[in-house]
Amino acid sequence: MSIIEVVLMLVKIVAVILAMIMPLAIMLTWADRRVGAMAQDRVGPNRAVIWLPTRVAQGAAVGPALGVAALVAFLAFGYLAGAGEPPTAEARATGACVFSHLAIFMTWATFAIISGLVVNRGARSSFDLWIKGFPPRQIVYIGFGAHALAIVLASAFSGTEQGLVLRDWGYGGGAAVLIFSILFGAGYAAFAIRNEPRVGLRLLGLPHAFVADGLKTLWKEDFIPPNADRFLHSLAPFISFFPALTVFAVIPFGDTLCFGADARGHLDITRLAHMVPREGMCTAGALRLQIVDLNVGILYFLALAGTGIVGAALAGWASDNKYSLLGGLRAASQMVSYEVTMGLTLIGAVMVYGTLRLDEMVRWQGENTWGIFVQPLAFVLFFASAVAESKRIPFDLPEGESEIVAGYFTEYAGMKFAMFFFSEYIAVVSSSALLAVIFLGGWNLPFLYRDGFHVAIGGAAIWDQPLSHGFVIVLGLLAFMLKVVGLCWLQLMIRWTLPRFRYDQLMRLGWRKLLPASLVNVLATGLVLMLVQSSEGALATSLRTLCDVLAAVVGVSMIGAFVWLVVFLLKPTRKRTMLASSSAQFAAQMGGTHTARMEA
Amino acid sequence: MEPIDQELDPSEIELPAEPMLLNVGPAHPAMHGTVRIVMELSGESIERCDVQVGYLHRGFEKMCERGNWSQVFPYVDRCNYVSPMLNNVAFALACEKLLGIEVPERCQWYRMALGELARMSDHLTCDGAMAMELGAFTPFLWMIKGREMIWDLMEEETGARLTHSFGRVGGMAQPPTPGFKEQAKAVTKHILGIIDEVERLLIGNRIFLDRLEGVGIVPADEAISLGWTGPCLRASGVPYDVRKSHPYMKYGEVEFDVPVGQTGDCFDRFMVRIAELKQCARIIDQCLERLADSGPVNVSDPRVILPPKSDVYSTIEGTIQHFKIVMEGLKLPAGEVYSYTEGGNGELGFYLVSDGSGTPYRVRIRPPCFFITGGLERVITGAMMADVVPSFGSLNMIGGECDR
Repeated sequence: MSIIEVVLMLVKIVAVILAMIMPLAIMLTWADRRVGAMAQDRVGPNRAVIWLPTRVAQGAAVGPALGVAALVAFLAFGYLAGAGEPPTAEARATGACVFSHLAIFMTWATFAIISGLVVNRGARSSFDLWIKGFPPRQIVYIGFGAHALAIVLASAFSGTEQGLVLRDWGYGGGAAVLIFSILFGAGYAAFAIRNEPRVGLRLLGLPHAFVADGLKTLWKEDFIPPNADRFLHSLAPFISFFPALTVFAVIPFGDTLCFGADARGHLDITRLAHMVPREGMCTAGALRLQIVDLNVGILYFLALAGTGIVGAALAGWASDNKYSLLGGLRAASQMVSYEVTMGLTLIGAVMVYGTLRLDEMVRWQGENTWGIFVQPLAFVLFFASAVAESKRIPFDLPEGESEIVAGYFTEYAGMKFAMFFFSEYIAVVSSSALLAVIFLGGWNLPFLYRDGFHVAIGGAAIWDQPLSHGFVIVLGLLAFMLKVVGLCWLQLMIRWTLPRFRYDQLMRLGWRKLLPASLVNVLATGLVLMLVQSSEGALATSLRTLCDVLAAVVGVSMIGAFVWLVVFLLKPTRKRTMLASSSAQFAAQMGGTHTARMEA
Repeated sequence: MEPIDQELDPSEIELPAEPMLLNVGPAHPAMHGTVRIVMELSGESIERCDVQVGYLHRGFEKMCERGNWSQVFPYVDRCNYVSPMLNNVAFALACEKLLGIEVPERCQWYRMALGELARMSDHLTCDGAMAMELGAFTPFLWMIKGREMIWDLMEEETGARLTHSFGRVGGMAQPPTPGFKEQAKAVTKHILGIIDEVERLLIGNRIFLDRLEGVGIVPADEAISLGWTGPCLRASGVPYDVRKSHPYMKYGEVEFDVPVGQTGDCFDRFMVRIAELKQCARIIDQCLERLADSGPVNVSDPRVILPPKSDVYSTIEGTIQHFKIVMEGLKLPAGEVYSYTEGGNGELGFYLVSDGSGTPYRVRIRPPCFFITGGLERVITGAMMADVVPSFGSLNMIGGECDR
């Protein structure tokens, strides 16, 4: 292993932790608290503010915006100043598409945010008064209309003379509007805060979850019970935290990045702007978007997930507390039981994919169809046991706060408690990531191949959109993140909906229901596989068509879900106001408080 | 050498094992109020247990013996602190029984409406807390939101959210506020909506049913022999409700059903409370309909009720009347009385002994919780550790009432 590879791996580890695990775990913490707050009409964990001096805040708004604007200008018009070659026709087409859509997006997003702010705090300038005429919802509709118009125009004039003119306008105009809207948004922000004595950075409440809930525990007393085993008591949280993090080592986030090498053998980053062939893998300059590419992939995950049990059991034993002991025992037996189901459900998936490597599983799903369609039962079983492994409701018996106080971490305080707490959330993220990789096609989107979109059902092509390699990889990364976030959301909803099991019911579910079901799944998978492999070509063709149809169904339902989400988010909220007491009415008459606007 | 297959008693081969003694409470998340259960656990199942109450004993009955009769009201507020209005009314009724007076109709309807609202808050708290302790947090938050509305309404009527001290011997402290009817209707409607949502979320849930069905069964005869009353007794299938069996105030004139359970398990106790919430809303509707918009709220007996302030300052009779009641206290005739009403948890009885001096000679309260908690040991012995939570939750022990 060369130095470069080691450095690359370290970069990947840091990137995965900083860009994926930590933000998601923090967001989950925040979301958990926010759901609780919403059910009670409280503001929730949004109060922590980082105060910045006005000049610094203005700089923080304008500085990055200037940088980004300069980058866009360089990328789009750099060749005019003599930097690099003029863009080729292909690059112009891609650039026109990207720049125009980004410009439209930035414009409506900026204006919608400003309009929303003005609605909230009242107009302060003539521009505010003007933009007040456009409610945020209306701006979003206009923006979506503009996106649709751009797509329609692009496909209508594709390949004609006017199309070329339109392309160049889209390229130049799009970039110019993008630069303008970035600078305008930053400038507006800097202008709006010019008279504030200081500016609070709230970032949707994320500092609250991270700093006020997480980091503060560093300064809390580290309590160890007098008769506890000091060494084991301190070791347990680390044993619990470590596997939750290291599971991510084998998770592939995206397709392999092909830099390629130029004539002198150096890496050629410009390759990302070009298309790559649909089939085959690049040989030189490949960067796997996966920390390590282990040939035992899934076994590594199972082994590490098993290690987490030791942490909980040790914590329960070393705390010298009967509640902790009960919690530790429950944790050990629960996790061992569900580990079995987890492993057995994956056998079906491994039989179908014919590999233990996670990235090859994803490729199989890209070529054929998503795992959830070939192993639906395994998906449900694996999901259930993954939730059980993360020790959250309805499987949170090891904590069972109403029965055994806090279970195995009753005697933990400060950062050690936070490590148990966080490892739970990270377990949610890691199980979601694994589910996305094994059953939801990882970075795959329906009909997205290495060279772009090719919608075709049973060989009949419907729509083609070639895309550059870098763009395809970014789309894949986004798709993966989306799937992980969706599964995290699902787990969050489960946590807020279901009550918890009793110990014997949990065991019965694990050993008498999930385990036999997973065995049946293995048997059924084997039979179907034998049938498919021994069949003639006709079945294979119809299966291939079925795969395409399924992909189409997924694609349509994803678009449908997106539209539904947008409609849901844009629907005007109707808050029922219930002011029974005269003191509440009086407070509401006085305007309520700023943080809680009396929306009980 | 000894033969290997010698005959051994199985107990000799097994490792020596002894049950784990676990002290649950008095400060423990599952122990509402303060109660302590000493359990002998074998694994997770409870072999023996000892329920110890009394951690919230404040000498309430003894304290009553040093003031006058009106000064007892703040104490009864603090008995069942989830539905204090019911206690207020119950104590006022006991005193009135000894005095041999009856309050005007308007006051009776008003008392019933407020009392049923308090019962709603009691049942909402109990069922919500039960769901929360089983891990279902969302229904708890919804139900507490409903309770909050009731308390807002109570604040509007009485000036205090929790400890109202609103009852008076011979009436109420204030007549209903002008907006009472409208607000009470809005609140009950809202709460019925919440109950619907909770039912949709919990009643069809397999996990929830598994946790409650067949857990903590108390058959009817056992419940009667334990002295249980209220929702817990009705859940065992005995249709005894003081409001129906021995109607007081105007309960004989309103229409409502008494829901009963079949098996007497935790689920029945949960469902009986849910059903009673709906009946409460029904009773409140009828009360609001019959509640007159004007008319006297207090009896016009000058020995019982303080005169209006204008009379105190302008007439000699008023001044003397005020002086007598304030300085000597309300004089209940010598004798004793037992008056019982349907409280949040069952039959809430007051046994009063008066020597005619204006100071209570003895105030004895019969708290429904005390008898219900007496059955806890029987309910949880042999069950699992996790079953303590729904069993104890469904019995709805209120520390202040049980320990007094």
